[in-house]
Amino acid sequence: MKRTSILIALSLYTSLNFAQKIKGSDTVLPLSQKEAEMYMKANKMNKITVTGGGSGVGLAALVDNTTDIAMSSRKIKMDEKMKLQDAGRAYKEVTIAYDALSVIVNNDNKVSQLTREQLEGIFTGKVKNWKEIGGDDLQIVVYSRESSSGTYEFFKEHVMNKKNYASSVLSMPATGAIVQSVSQTKGAIGYIGLAYMEKSVKALKVSYDAGKTFVAPSMATAKDKTYPVIRPLYYYYLNTVEKTVKPFIDYVLSAEGQKTVEQVGYVPLK
Amino acid sequence: MPNKLINLNTTKMKLKNYYLLTFTFTMLSLCLSTLTVKAQAPEETPIDTLARAVNKMADDISFLKKIKFSGYIQSQFQVADSMGAKSFAGGDFPATVDKRFKVRRAEFKTMYDNGKVQVVANINVSQDGVTIKDAYGKWSEQRLKMFSLTAGIFNRPFGFENSYSSGSLESPERARMIQVLLPGERDCGAMLTFQMPNNSALHPLKIEAGVFNGTGNAANDFDYYKDFIGNIHWTSTNKSEKIKYALGVSFYDGGVRQGTSKVYSMKADSNGINTFVMNKDTATSGYGAIAKRQYYGIDGQVSFDFPFGITTLRAEYIAGTQPGTSSSSSSPSALPTGDTYIRKFNGAYFYFVQNIFQTKHQIVVKYDWYDANTDVKENNVGLTKFAYASGTLTKTTGTADLKYTTLGLGYIYKVDNNLKFTLYYDMVTNEKSTFLTSSGYWKDVKDNVLTIRAQYKF
Repeated sequence: MKRTSILIALSLYTSLNFAQKIKGSDTVLPLSQKEAEMYMKANKMNKITVTGGGSGVGLAALVDNTTDIAMSSRKIKMDEKMKLQDAGRAYKEVTIAYDALSVIVNNDNKVSQLTREQLEGIFTGKVKNWKEIGGDDLQIVVYSRESSSGTYEFFKEHVMNKKNYASSVLSMPATGAIVQSVSQTKGAIGYIGLAYMEKSVKALKVSYDAGKTFVAPSMATAKDKTYPVIRPLYYYYLNTVEKTVKPFIDYVLSAEGQKTVEQVGYVPLK
Repeated sequence: MPNKLINLNTTKMKLKNYYLLTFTFTMLSLCLSTLTVKAQAPEETPIDTLARAVNKMADDISFLKKIKFSGYIQSQFQVADSMGAKSFAGGDFPATVDKRFKVRRAEFKTMYDNGKVQVVANINVSQDGVTIKDAYGKWSEQRLKMFSLTAGIFNRPFGFENSYSSGSLESPERARMIQVLLPGERDCGAMLTFQMPNNSALHPLKIEAGVFNGTGNAANDFDYYKDFIGNIHWTSTNKSEKIKYALGVSFYDGGVRQGTSKVYSMKADSNGINTFVMNKDTATSGYGAIAKRQYYGIDGQVSFDFPFGITTLRAEYIAGTQPGTSSSSSSPSALPTGDTYIRKFNGAYFYFVQNIFQTKHQIVVKYDWYDANTDVKENNVGLTKFAYASGTLTKTTGTADLKYTTLGLGYIYKVDNNLKFTLYYDMVTNEKSTFLTSSGYWKDVKDNVLTIRAQYKF
């Protein structure tokens, strides 16, 4: 009886010690889930739970110390850094992969390429009809992620030059919802990570040199960095849990982990 | 037996059998139908039971998440330069005390927030008593998501340090000028706030405008005049999220009922030296008139994410007109009963806060001044001989008209989100005048204070 109690207590202790929580970006979510699955297969004592909610949610959980790893598709903000500092919490940032942000339209849309300036015009509400940019006479229906999303922030900063989204932009809670909406609405436009790309939508070629060259998003153009809308994906963790999370993070950064990155549809570090 | 009798008995038997059969059949049908109903009712699976329980728990959690309890307790030990030191570092020291333990603040806040309405109650418990800090409701309109209305007892919307939480302040106390002009930080009134939604280019802009009693959080109103307080603030970060900056301007337009008919303001004599001169006696008209209380403020904050740690610089400057008494320039929390003394004042503070890399260590340097009466300086304070026209009623300036500067040096150790330790030394320098010998202000009074504080936060 005593031996059984000790064994139960030991197993509970070890499972708690090898348990990790990963929370945050919906963009990084499918990658983290796959990495966790592969890691737990090879390390049966480990238990990793992965939940989404957005980059902002993950970083807020890091501040509150309710997650071990915050996954984020944007850099940590100044306010978040100050909150961590106020709590006396030192943190580390690790880049685990890259993501090509694809701008998608409905398959029936005849527009196949846009410049950054045109994209800025669409998402800020200056350009309201497809005919203004070489398409059909059709109102543009713009879809975006919610403001807690790192993808939302990245798109605003790098494609819209930090200008604000138009108030008419429709906010969707998840990437999957954007794919579905764009596939069902002829005049729709949205943005998603390359890993979420489906045949039900069309990815546009993008130009960052005022129309001289247009590049389509793909693993190849993301790897050779010819596609201009590439962003790093991050894991953030507190120094106090480094011992617990480092083995998993090292796995993600290893050759095997980076192979999984490519398989899931993201761009490996090398 | 006659045939008719036999037939009657047979009929009776048949009827009896018929009724018995009918009754039996009816009862049987009833029993069968119950069984059928039971057989048709779907059996709840364990999954259904679990789903129902989880849904109920989710509803309960959703409600509970709207209620938040928070607070902090600040326990400290202080050493003053001298017995009975008058201090703005947590209150004056009693006459026979130069060291003390004190619970400086113990605030307990309850908030209900459903995204549209916020209800807050916050009390402070300390050796100085139990006081209401906040008791307000805030309604945010959902159509434009730009406006909100707050009513009750809450922070005056003036400047930066007044509204900044005492639990987050790096120095143990607010600057002297804030404690004098805006005691208790809160007031009772109503305020409209304008701020564009998150996705607007103007979201960094916040405008607050409110009307208040002017008496602070602890007192009921004692005059008919209501004070207007407003501020415009802009807060933003740079593109790389390495710099956060903010700038604000504030305005306070209020008044205090005069305690008597006599009002004194500073006026220069023929030699250009100022003292209080009675500029009106409202006994014949306008008795109980309102003496102007007007402040103009500007504040700025900037934080840099340097490789050696986050650096924060803050500054705030306030100037204006403050009605007071002969012995004090503090904003009153009770109906004044003495003559009114109008003073022009100014004050400012400057903060330098440096986090040491990403460690738990932080250092703070703070400099502030408060000049209660900018019309009189040093050896002119307390002067009694002047060259005014004969019959001019004058009053002497005194200790309430001195300028104070405070240099504070502090070290903070942040154990975690719930506990921090502060070691802080206030070096106070007062303006000196040879005419203030009796009160001791002919030299710098010994009123420096060392504070060692533990703050427990939840």
